[in-house]
Amino acid sequence: MGIEIGAVKLTLDELGTRLQGEFGDDLVDLRVQEPDTLVARVDRHKLHAVAAKLKGLGEIAYDSCNFVAAVDYVTHLETVYHLYSYSTNTYIELHVEIDRNNAVCDTICDIYPAANWHEREAWDMMGVRFEGHPDLRRILLKDDWIGHPLRKDYVDLVENHPNV
Amino acid sequence: MSDVFSNEAPDSAVRLAIERVKAEQSVSDLEGLELGTVIVNMGPQHPSTHGVLRLVVTLDGEVIRDVIPVIGYLHRCKEKLAERRTYFQYIPIPDRTEYVAGMNCEWGYVRTVEKLAGIPVTRRAEFIRVIMAELNRIASHLVAIGTFVADLAPLGTAMAFYTFRDRERILDLLEAASGARMMFNYFRFGGVRYDLPDGWVEKCREFLDYFPPKIVEYENLVNDNAIFLQRTLGKGVLTQEDVKEYAITGPNARASGVKHDLRRTRPYSVYPELDFEIPVGTHGDVYDRYQVRIAEMRESVKIVRQALDMLPKGPVQLGTLRPPYVITPPPGACYTAQENPRGEYGTYIVSDGSRYPYRLKYRDPCFVNLQVFPKLLKGVKIADAIAISGSMDLVLGGIDR
Repeated sequence: MGIEIGAVKLTLDELGTRLQGEFGDDLVDLRVQEPDTLVARVDRHKLHAVAAKLKGLGEIAYDSCNFVAAVDYVTHLETVYHLYSYSTNTYIELHVEIDRNNAVCDTICDIYPAANWHEREAWDMMGVRFEGHPDLRRILLKDDWIGHPLRKDYVDLVENHPNV
Repeated sequence: MSDVFSNEAPDSAVRLAIERVKAEQSVSDLEGLELGTVIVNMGPQHPSTHGVLRLVVTLDGEVIRDVIPVIGYLHRCKEKLAERRTYFQYIPIPDRTEYVAGMNCEWGYVRTVEKLAGIPVTRRAEFIRVIMAELNRIASHLVAIGTFVADLAPLGTAMAFYTFRDRERILDLLEAASGARMMFNYFRFGGVRYDLPDGWVEKCREFLDYFPPKIVEYENLVNDNAIFLQRTLGKGVLTQEDVKEYAITGPNARASGVKHDLRRTRPYSVYPELDFEIPVGTHGDVYDRYQVRIAEMRESVKIVRQALDMLPKGPVQLGTLRPPYVITPPPGACYTAQENPRGEYGTYIVSDGSRYPYRLKYRDPCFVNLQVFPKLLKGVKIADAIAISGSMDLVLGGIDR
């Protein structure tokens, strides 16, 4: 058994149609972003199920989680999941909208272990609490840091980092 | 066991290690631990971690039971800095992420902004970029191999002296072109800052003739060394399944036989016009990771040679002599990735249409590759852990950003 990259030859449009057929309304606004990425929005309650299904798609499975980013849009937060499929050599980018005042999102690191540290980083920097994460500690900042510095309303005070 | 720690209170990583030991041995306090179980802080100032990486290692005698990597000692807020600088002002900063491969990192950032703002790149500049990136890749692999063999200790630091000697020649070339040895600030949107100085191409060709025999020299030094082989063959095996699960990229993935190289799988710049192989290993052990890096240096030499032959005449910046200082990409988000010496180096930028990036996020290859450490190091001897972590080639500047 070996990983063959690009073994399944499908154009992005074909792939998009196939995914839309599989997922229906779970992938909202599915669109093609040249040259090799599909972009879609996902409801935060469906994220875990969608991710699990994407990984179990058989020959066109999205095997690995490239990265997870969190963005603060002031009105809401957004987490961005970038998944890669070795067999089709394409990416899918999932955008998940999260309430800013109650920033909770399901973890996908039980499905994609690579998401573990990215989620910890999103918690550290953006304050997104990933439910079900096995080890949601701060990763880049010290344990006793107060606040989440990449949020747009973060104010840098000396009191926020007592022991630095 | 209870008083192994310094007078400082243990931080969350050490507390986690203690909890795991307690759970495993089902004891309520540290006094009841089995003899021989000890929790050690390896780093952050440990020479073998090549930077300020700290591993909280639970040892059972000489065997590692558990590893918890602790990072962040070199955190310099690069993502926050982006939000307070214009796109142009931010160009020197990516240099400082994966600082042994600055050209590649700069390229990653500049390419993302170009894609976001739709800035075309001149053809000559594309070739110069490829040349610089590949030279920097060789320099980076030389650091990786030199320090890795130094860690293994069969030859002491002999290998490092050889590789650093040759790396210095590359840095001279890069300095002649950009003005700096490591922190280049050379790339500009749509091109590069300076055209190649007079005589640079000849100097570069001279180096390309000089270098391949030196690779043979390195190989002669260690490839048949019994101690080297004993310490590398079959150690730290990374399966293809691990590569998939942990999204490992770069030479570490290719050593396991995964032929994933963004220069081919997600082609960019003029790489499709260049002829080169993607070396892969078969076993995914420490030895294969070393061999893949050696083979990649040969391929990079090939690439640079072709790029020099094909180097067209023309401007290295579009339009005026001055680079575009103020650019305002349209609102939107963009992710580009490229093959750094350590793997997929991605930059995700969100633009709100202003002069400043709204949000910038790096996907650093070392940050991702480091995640597999607890799995890779479980059950190995502590001396092998040094070899394995050396072969994974971490750069803490990229991990901590």
